[in-house]
Amino acid sequence: MVRLRQDPMPLMLALLLAAAGASLVIGKVWLPPVVLFDGLAAPKPNLAWLIVTELRIPRTVLALMVGATLGLGGAVLQGLLRNPLAEPGLLGVSGGAALGAVIAIYFGLAARFALATPLLGIAGALVAGALTFLFGRSGTLTLILAGSAVSGLAAAGLALALNFAPSPYAAYEITTWLLGSVAEKEWSQIALCTPFVLAGWLCLAATPRGLDALTLGEAQAESLGVNLNMLRVLALAGVALSVGAATAMAGAIGFVGLVAPHLVRPFVGYRPSRILLPSAVFGALLLLVTDIAIRVIPTSSELKLGVLTSLIGTPFFFWLVLRLRRMSP
Amino acid sequence: MTTPRKNELSLKAASVCRRLACLPLMCLLLPACAGPATGTEGLPDGASSGALPAPVAVRKPTRIMSMMLCNDVLLLMMVPRDRIASITYLAHDAVEALLPGADTGVAINHGTAEEILLQKPDLILAGTDSAPMARKLAKAVGARVVEVGAANSFADIRRVVRQVGQAVGEPGQAHALLAEMDRKLAWLASHQPARPLRVVAWSGSQAVPGKGTLTNEIIAASGADNIAARLPDSRYGSFGLEELLAARPDAILQGETRWSGPSLQDAQSMHPLIERYWRGRRIGYPDAAYACGLPQSADAAIALRNLYRELPAGRPRW
Repeated sequence: MVRLRQDPMPLMLALLLAAAGASLVIGKVWLPPVVLFDGLAAPKPNLAWLIVTELRIPRTVLALMVGATLGLGGAVLQGLLRNPLAEPGLLGVSGGAALGAVIAIYFGLAARFALATPLLGIAGALVAGALTFLFGRSGTLTLILAGSAVSGLAAAGLALALNFAPSPYAAYEITTWLLGSVAEKEWSQIALCTPFVLAGWLCLAATPRGLDALTLGEAQAESLGVNLNMLRVLALAGVALSVGAATAMAGAIGFVGLVAPHLVRPFVGYRPSRILLPSAVFGALLLLVTDIAIRVIPTSSELKLGVLTSLIGTPFFFWLVLRLRRMSP
Repeated sequence: MTTPRKNELSLKAASVCRRLACLPLMCLLLPACAGPATGTEGLPDGASSGALPAPVAVRKPTRIMSMMLCNDVLLLMMVPRDRIASITYLAHDAVEALLPGADTGVAINHGTAEEILLQKPDLILAGTDSAPMARKLAKAVGARVVEVGAANSFADIRRVVRQVGQAVGEPGQAHALLAEMDRKLAWLASHQPARPLRVVAWSGSQAVPGKGTLTNEIIAASGADNIAARLPDSRYGSFGLEELLAARPDAILQGETRWSGPSLQDAQSMHPLIERYWRGRRIGYPDAAYACGLPQSADAAIALRNLYRELPAGRPRW
């Protein structure tokens, strides 16, 4: 039975705005808001203006974009695969993106031109998505299995790159890159990835009706006129484009895509179509707040975003298992 | 040129070999590169005289095996080649830059147990990591094991050089090398710049050397302030772009690892902000010179001092 509660969207959007504001004020370097505003009004460039426009705004934008992508991707895949454990990484897309980006680092392309990492990351995601679809298009289960296989392939490729890293330092960098971060990215990199992310969102935005019908079962959905193959293609292409581009930018960030749909579901009901948008907003909020936490937590070496999301996400996983056990007869 | 077998690189060796790798560059910067080439020749006369106790007539080890890169270089500086059983496989590039040709004909080891048994050394110069394994096997081949720690300061360098000199039976060589180093340090100290520059060794925000690192020591000797030295008690901490902007150092020292392929770090240290505001203020220093505490570390400080002169006046403006 769907519990109808107050629409959480206004609250989440308000929180999102507040978090975005906080994200511009909070950083490793503490500048009082007054100084920040003075800096923005004073002749440019100055320290406050540089820090806000060149470092904190890109970081905030990226956190929002990546978080929303993961939340949306997770919601769509949980609906499509009708599996509560589905998340964007499941189809091998994150792994493919990571492998592509790591190849850019490995062969030194990243050093020669900065956009090599996101470009190859996106290419990797698309190849991985295509592979998954090629092998798994006949059904939900085969899609999951093909996704696992592609993930495994990507993981093997990553291990191989680490094994043969051109210099030990490159191995170190590959590892740290994989931990995920939205800090200190350039505007040009963000601009490169944005079209892919938006294209992915568009694909995913076309899925809700099909996902709703799919809750009745595959045969029933088809009898309602839903083209299941088309639905899978849309979902996969959307995830490959958006999550691939997000991973190429920010590295592998786990659990947001898994957690976000589950956390909004009790508030908006269990219809897949109603979860997509709140899940995206909540994912963005979650990632942004986590990224702010990283800046506040005093560590001598920077805590990486993906590490913190995993640390927060794992207990949630246990909770999910316990809850499923309680609910199942 | 032999490249170390890549799959054998452990991350532990990483920090050392990555830095030692770019010794070729260091050679361009260090005037003393062509210093003592091999064995006992090539050292300034009279350097070994003075307060040194007369060399004791002990039997000098004749099959010395070095299991750490920094020891390799020291060993080649102090001992004739025919008394060296082997040096590490990592040494070649470094030696090629620092002491060209000094390792010709010297066998190499990969730090494995088998090689100890095979090469039957009478003295093993081990690093902190390789010492336990070396000790276990030393009995079997009848070798003495000397554990040489890492040198992170000029005081450490003095201790390590003396220790190695003593161990290989060449205390005079050690004394001469140190006298030369101290002469250079004294010159640096007596010619301090009027205004100490504020610098940071920053090549991407991940690991910036702070207090307790050799880099910090070299920067201090060069007459500059390492602004990362304020990092609390952690030798390598993160120092983000925000902090870099706020600190606005006079110059950014960027470690260059020319040994192997480029890495993401190179891209990261080229953030548009750095390009824009620190143009002409980026000093590429050879990572190598900062990895091993050697008598040549004083030359690294002198090289830095010389590079400061080419910096534009004043602080970066925006």
